[in-house]
Amino acid sequence: MQSKMKESDPILEIKNLSASTDNLPILKGVSLSVYPGEIHAIMGRNGCGKSTLSKIIAGHPSYNITNGDIKFLGENINSLEPEERSQSGIFLGFQYPIEIPGVSNLEFLRVSTNARRKFLNKEELDTFDFEELVKEKLEIVKMDQAFLSRSVNQGFSGGEKKRNEILQMALLEPKIAILDETDSGLDIDALRIVASGIKRISNAQTGIILITHYQRLLDEIKPNYVHVMSDGQIIKTGESDLALELEKKGYEWTDNFIKET
Amino acid sequence: MEIIEKIKTYKSIDNQTEIQKICLDKLQSSPLPNLRSEQWRLSNKSKLSNCLDYSVYGNNSKFDMPFPENSQSTIRLIIGENCQIKLIDKNYSIQQLREDELLKYIKEQISFFNQNDNWSDLLNLSLSCKNNILGLKINGSKIPPIEIFSHASSNSLNAKTLIIFCEKNCNVELLQVNLGEDNSSLSQSTFFCLEENSSLNHGVVSYGLNKSNLLNSLNVIQQKNSEYNLGSLHFKFNYARFEIRIKQSEGNARTNIKGMQITKKDEQISTYTKIDFDGPNGFLDQINKSLADDKSHAIFEGSIIVPKIAQKTDASQLSRNLLLSNLAQIDTKPQLEIIADDVKCKHGATISQLNEEELFYMRTRGITLKEASKLQLSSYFQEIISFIPVSKDRWDLLDKLLNEN
Repeated sequence: MQSKMKESDPILEIKNLSASTDNLPILKGVSLSVYPGEIHAIMGRNGCGKSTLSKIIAGHPSYNITNGDIKFLGENINSLEPEERSQSGIFLGFQYPIEIPGVSNLEFLRVSTNARRKFLNKEELDTFDFEELVKEKLEIVKMDQAFLSRSVNQGFSGGEKKRNEILQMALLEPKIAILDETDSGLDIDALRIVASGIKRISNAQTGIILITHYQRLLDEIKPNYVHVMSDGQIIKTGESDLALELEKKGYEWTDNFIKET
Repeated sequence: MEIIEKIKTYKSIDNQTEIQKICLDKLQSSPLPNLRSEQWRLSNKSKLSNCLDYSVYGNNSKFDMPFPENSQSTIRLIIGENCQIKLIDKNYSIQQLREDELLKYIKEQISFFNQNDNWSDLLNLSLSCKNNILGLKINGSKIPPIEIFSHASSNSLNAKTLIIFCEKNCNVELLQVNLGEDNSSLSQSTFFCLEENSSLNHGVVSYGLNKSNLLNSLNVIQQKNSEYNLGSLHFKFNYARFEIRIKQSEGNARTNIKGMQITKKDEQISTYTKIDFDGPNGFLDQINKSLADDKSHAIFEGSIIVPKIAQKTDASQLSRNLLLSNLAQIDTKPQLEIIADDVKCKHGATISQLNEEELFYMRTRGITLKEASKLQLSSYFQEIISFIPVSKDRWDLLDKLLNEN
């Protein structure tokens, strides 16, 4: 099912996307369009293909696209490397951010920010200028500067890891951000900080895809569209009240929907 | 037998020192190590033979010092060049060992030598002429960092020997750098004796050029309440062996070892360690990392020996290895030999490849695969390199060398 078309061009346009890993089909014809300023939520049971969809958009090498297209800003990106997708403005916030022992968070953030700036023909930042920028962005996610001197995500709590993801999003200023269960493992206060960070970073020119299981994130960030995924397909699309209905009726209700269709 | 003949040709019997004569006698009964023994069975025979193939050379040619001029606060010594040293300060003294002290110590060491375990030392002491043996005794505190260089010239087999006594209560920081030129072999034997309450932070950085070879042997005796910390890095050798033998002679001592070897092309670098606890309450924390690329071969064999007397020993030995190519080979064998019944000993080994998920994570942040691999490797090195006592200005060079590698 496709989101409503508008006059402007979509930032991200996925058409009939099928993908597999180790010859096992995971996505079975997903179509989705995200227009500037839109927030989309994708919900569904564990294992329905939500995270796989996010990884495929970001270019994970373990998945093969067997059919369909992913277009970003009008260009087909099926064959682009993950770094090329990131540099051009696609951001994936990980469900389980990876720890990289021995690599300083500050240096990691600086190298990735400069990769994006280079793509945008902006001047690359040296350590001093970058420190100024990062201090400003830290405030968005209420993180302490001490996080910068530690190794990437190493020894971070679940909430700190998620805030570090949003800090990266703030620095990279993506055109589209896919946030995979950013709300999982967060307490109420951390959820509010993360949600308010996302709202501050997004604007009328950017798009956001929130992958979530829970209504509580959607209470903080109201989506324009909610999609329900099951068995590698988007089986239902609606507006924000669809999430409420799902919360009330559970995924069994979507099973009935599959049977009916 | 060729190597014996070569030594004899190089030094006629009249010119041989007493030590050389003793060692040559021992070597004659076993001119090559037993290649079936545990310590030598994985050694590449043709590389070992090539390593011993160069002309024995006792003189020292000038070489380009890789590190910047040492600052005034560092004591720099080059074995074979400027071995005359006598520094006496109100806090410390560094003096050369007298000839009779050296002779007595080496003879005592040789009496404990085992033909296979110490073959490299026997070869070294057969070859090492007086000028190429540096013996020091150090005492006191606030001792400036010491750097000691050994070097092998092109197309020759050079032997350098270092003997250091750290006297009671002294704290020493020592960086040992072993350099091999193109087509060269360096035989380096080092002997440390750490007296009661002394501590030694020891760094070993060894690197060569095309077809450099190295036989690097390190023998440490620790008396009670001493602490020995070793950080080592070996890379860019066609063939290299790093043999570490540590004896906590009375127990109650601490040993920390963090070592790393990097192999590329068809290089072979191996590390053999033997840690003996000859008394109670000994402590060991050891990690050895290997990184093997292309068609290279990295080897680690470690043994921890805990006899009945060594109760309450706390020892850990971990071998972590990274395979970067399908054709590279890694052999690792950490071993424990425990007789005592009240000890805490553990060992383990892992062999893995670059972490795909870490790489993907970095790539989703715009970092190219090449850069991401480099970052991941540098994080792999970090734990070891940060343990090597090297000052910041020398760091840059080390970074550059590792990146070239």
